[in-house]
Amino acid sequence: MSVPDGKRWFLPKESLDALIAVLHQQQYVVIGPVFHDRAIRLEQVQRADQLARGVRDEHSGGQYRLIDGNQELLFEYVVGPDSAKKFFFPPRQELFSLHVKGEQFVIDKVGPAAPKLAILGLRPCDLAAIAVQDRVFGYHQPAGDEAPWASGFRCESELYYTQAREQSLLIAVNCVRPGGTCFCASWGNGPQVNKDMPYDLAMTEMRKGFVIRSKSRKGAAIISSLSLRDADDAEVELEGLLLQRAAEHMGRQLQTDDLPQLLDRAIDSPHWDNVAKRCLSCGNCTMVCPTCFCSTVSDSDDLATGSTTRTREWESCYTHQFSYTTSGPVRSSIRARYRHWLRHKLDTWHDQFGVSGCVGCGRCITWCPVGIDLTAEVESIRRYDSRDENHAPPRITVEARP
Amino acid sequence: MITPAARPEPHCGHDTWYPLAARITNVVQENFNTRTITLEMVDQAQRNDYQWRPGQFNMLYVPSVGEAAISISSDSDKPQVLEHTIRTVGSVTRAIEHMPVGSVVGLRGPFGEGWPIEAIEGKDVVMMCGGIGLAPLRPMVYWLLNHREMCRRVVLLYGCRTPEDRLYADELEQWHEDPRIDVLVTVDNATSQWVGPVGVVTNLLRRIKVSARETVVMVCGPRILNRVGAWSFLQLHVPPEQVYVSLERNMNCGFGRCGHCQYGPKFVCRDGPVFRYSDIHDIFAKEEV
Repeated sequence: MSVPDGKRWFLPKESLDALIAVLHQQQYVVIGPVFHDRAIRLEQVQRADQLARGVRDEHSGGQYRLIDGNQELLFEYVVGPDSAKKFFFPPRQELFSLHVKGEQFVIDKVGPAAPKLAILGLRPCDLAAIAVQDRVFGYHQPAGDEAPWASGFRCESELYYTQAREQSLLIAVNCVRPGGTCFCASWGNGPQVNKDMPYDLAMTEMRKGFVIRSKSRKGAAIISSLSLRDADDAEVELEGLLLQRAAEHMGRQLQTDDLPQLLDRAIDSPHWDNVAKRCLSCGNCTMVCPTCFCSTVSDSDDLATGSTTRTREWESCYTHQFSYTTSGPVRSSIRARYRHWLRHKLDTWHDQFGVSGCVGCGRCITWCPVGIDLTAEVESIRRYDSRDENHAPPRITVEARP
Repeated sequence: MITPAARPEPHCGHDTWYPLAARITNVVQENFNTRTITLEMVDQAQRNDYQWRPGQFNMLYVPSVGEAAISISSDSDKPQVLEHTIRTVGSVTRAIEHMPVGSVVGLRGPFGEGWPIEAIEGKDVVMMCGGIGLAPLRPMVYWLLNHREMCRRVVLLYGCRTPEDRLYADELEQWHEDPRIDVLVTVDNATSQWVGPVGVVTNLLRRIKVSARETVVMVCGPRILNRVGAWSFLQLHVPPEQVYVSLERNMNCGFGRCGHCQYGPKFVCRDGPVFRYSDIHDIFAKEEV
């Protein structure tokens, strides 16, 4: 993986407030990781002391727990259930309201415009996921940072995404302490940002402050208005060591080079039945996944005004109604729904959007109530795939539940 | 900070959530649960803009109920007259069933890829359909009759449950008399007046001669007919590149963004609903893909 070169500055911890103040000055709504609902959530912040501090997160299949960490450090956790997805592709988005007048549809109201967001504390996997959704929603970040534009496809809901992304400022934090379900390194998506990722500023946390680098003109402008000093050699070296160590401590691994071919072959794998026995088809993995994009538009009525609102909401391919047709749901078995989800992520996403739908953040493993582990399921499928046809099936080990 | 988004102009096309108003100008009861409604766009400019190809579909919208994907079943050479043959099966189709002439429904579209008009030049065309599957093929029949010089033989094989269930019964009679097209209709259960064949629609293949290399096949029916139909032509050695199938899926957006209609790597609404067999052969036989 290519490490971005270039100039690095040093942002002391005390200057985080100054950074947030600069963002406020530039009319940004500032989003950061906070401690809320006993989890690390991405929410609006006004000051640096609202950011979660001194907490670590423990991740494993079906397990998420916050424990006390070093009080001097802000970003000791990795990712909570939230990702940037909820800001650019809102979980509930009103498209428009209309009523019928005579023979016309009268549009009463259109959905809100996208706010101007600065998101602080995104992880490299989150950036990779934004890059994936940029393709899904037809928004491409050009090589330079100026004049990003939306591709030819223009539907109202995608205009919101485009607008939100165009205005956004992304401040990433490299991971020095990967979580137990992380496997971004297997995809080349971490633990540090790389030059293909969409970010404006990227920071690496140390005890006294952050080594910070900028990728865009927006980012450079913020650095210059903070009048930061250059990072010294010791700090740059320490950053390198921290990130090197992080790459070696990934909680999970996944062999990624042959996944589309493997899953093409695995369409009839007996392992789907094994997963189906455990999967509850609850859809948690699709809700926490930073790249899942399925949605449903439905109507709701305002009885007072007679106006009908069309609202787009996140939808999960694990629900019964997702594939419902008049002859019943296309995917009625859990086996088929899990297979669809996994094959979409790792295989057919390549056909649709030219990239993998998985970035290795590990959220689907952590937030699965029964701890189904994408990396382990792929390995099981791989073992079935490589076995001799006449050979007895290999024993499938299921991660022991605590 | 949050201001309303710019208000887009309503327009015809494949990339909008805004429904266009269309009025019902005629209703024909086809059978006990199926009606054909004729729509015309309320706005004259929109009516003139609207162009479509056989095999495409519209999302029909009833405010406060929802949308349903319905294929267009009229003549694409008269694009302003939009007929939709609708079987009452869900909330939206039920709401439309209760609408009298003069009512207004919402319409988005046209969506999807239609039947392969380019592929039929100089070939025989065999269409096989069952039940409501005739509706998406009817524009193709019109098109073939309008441009008859394009291809050689035209055969329509149609199967339905009983003679009373036949769609476009009068038209089927007309086509039956028409020397430009061979129409064979079979029913599962005959009534006393029925003198035609009885049995599944694939049985009709015994009654026609298929010159495999020179035939383009179009199949549209319920899931089982799509499979058995397509395979029966492959058994007759029709090349898989010349077999086309129209599929049905749950649709929400119509332009490949909501994910509902995924079929392996394809979005049925955008890449289909008509697929070439050779493009989907690896998943066509698989259950619940």
